[in-house]
Amino acid sequence: MRAQAGVTAPLAQAIAALDLPDDHVLIRSPEREVSAGDVRLIAQMGVVLAGMGVALCIAEPFEMLRALLSLDGRVAALLLLAPDLPAEAAQTVMREAGVERVVTERTDLPGAVTLDALLAEGGEGAPLATQWLLTTSGTTGVPKLVRHERDTIFRAVKTPRAAAGADRWAMLYDPSRFAGTQVMAQALLGGACLLTPRSGMTTGETVDWLVEQGCTHVSATPSLWRRLLMAPGSMRLPLRQITLGGEIADDAILGALRARFPKARVTHIYASTEAGTGFAVRDGKAGFPADWLAENAEIDGARLSVRDGLLWLRPAGEASSTAAHIVRDDGGFIRTGDRIAIEDGRARFAGREDATLNVGGIKVQVEAVEEIVHAHPAVAQCRITAKPSAMMGSLLTLSVVPRAEVVTDPATLRQEIALWCKSRLPPPARPATIRIVQELPLSIAGKTERTGA
Amino acid sequence: MTQMWAPFAGDGQPLILTPDELRARITALFNEMWREDREDEPPALVDDTVLLETGFDSMAFAVLVARLDDELGFDPFTMVEEPVYPQTFAEFVAFYAQCAPKPE
Repeated sequence: MRAQAGVTAPLAQAIAALDLPDDHVLIRSPEREVSAGDVRLIAQMGVVLAGMGVALCIAEPFEMLRALLSLDGRVAALLLLAPDLPAEAAQTVMREAGVERVVTERTDLPGAVTLDALLAEGGEGAPLATQWLLTTSGTTGVPKLVRHERDTIFRAVKTPRAAAGADRWAMLYDPSRFAGTQVMAQALLGGACLLTPRSGMTTGETVDWLVEQGCTHVSATPSLWRRLLMAPGSMRLPLRQITLGGEIADDAILGALRARFPKARVTHIYASTEAGTGFAVRDGKAGFPADWLAENAEIDGARLSVRDGLLWLRPAGEASSTAAHIVRDDGGFIRTGDRIAIEDGRARFAGREDATLNVGGIKVQVEAVEEIVHAHPAVAQCRITAKPSAMMGSLLTLSVVPRAEVVTDPATLRQEIALWCKSRLPPPARPATIRIVQELPLSIAGKTERTGA
Repeated sequence: MTQMWAPFAGDGQPLILTPDELRARITALFNEMWREDREDEPPALVDDTVLLETGFDSMAFAVLVARLDDELGFDPFTMVEEPVYPQTFAEFVAFYAQCAPKPE
């Protein structure tokens, strides 16, 4: 079994059980660190806040990790919120999750409390089976809530190797993201050191700090990898393990990483907030072997199948994630929404079934963007199409048909619409280029024109 | 029909530009994008300028590349077999010059 004994114990207790020396550093930021001794003290606190759910909305990754270590096993539910989630969306998700308190540095969220004040409210009690509540990483509207039992979060963690204590992992995902929880669990439960850059450090500063710290393991999206390769210090990273996830890893980025870091193993993983960790591909090529789709094939404990061109995945272990938007069949297979194309014995990812674009690892709902553009008074019809981008995977191109009565010249209209988008959309969802046209191109799904209102 | 944006020289042919002209176009578009977003003056782009230290993040560079594609009619990053990750401004310009359409 890959699952490790004691994984159902809370995070701090599971780490304490590794019996690391007290001075072994588990989490390090440029200013602070958490040692195995510190974790042992956290594990020994008998405090619980029975029946309480707590949201965490913390920009500083080091503080987020400290809160997760301190609260897992002490509260009924932990709701992990992206630190830049708009206040209104944060409150909606908190209501949906039945959570009233939030540990945050922000001042615009009701129910805010510091970690220490919260712990001071607790009473004595045995550790709780804390649920981890994560949200999907969309950019428009309110994120969707996905409930995980603690075991789903820790399931993919491999049993630590004897030498794992010398591994130094970089925390480049926000810890509130599913991918961030995976890096955290793998590093900490493996007894490795988790290097946690300060929020606000530039890519160049982050890379230089990771070089100085002797970072050996990095997990990031393909887009972030492309950015890391643009930082001059990156060639000095002593990497042994390179992991890609969160968006499609193409042959170009996989090949560039193999060439730049010949000593490192290059792995890309398929995971989603809905299904948890799915499987890892370790041959350094894009996609995965098509025979993994065979009926009796089991990949990292998961089962795969393609139906009508879409990937369905039955995660390893008990199905324990639930959310209203997840489609699951009687056999426990979850519909992923990712399209698959099979060619020459290789299954490759071919984008999303719905009109969703992945811009640098962030899912953008195309129709929501079109709706916002359409609300501009000069716009008769509009259409978002994908523009391939070597850096971000894809970008948005907006085509606009102006209303007949509009006399604004195209250049000015383009600027007006760009400003309109800038004030209403986060950067990945803003069109990279805008064209003023007389008729619309085909939509992303290949559909002919929808009629504009 | 695309009305304005005039990505090509008018007859559907990509523009033929010298390396100096390319450099000027790239700098001009960089400055234009900078001013769309910020109040302060754009930094001077010289050969040794490290792209990621200009204040542009990777999203902004991706947008710059997309807009250059519309303006020049080519995106070198999608044209090469082996991926290229330019670190300095000189490398960025040289990469465009290398992939630019050449006069017959």
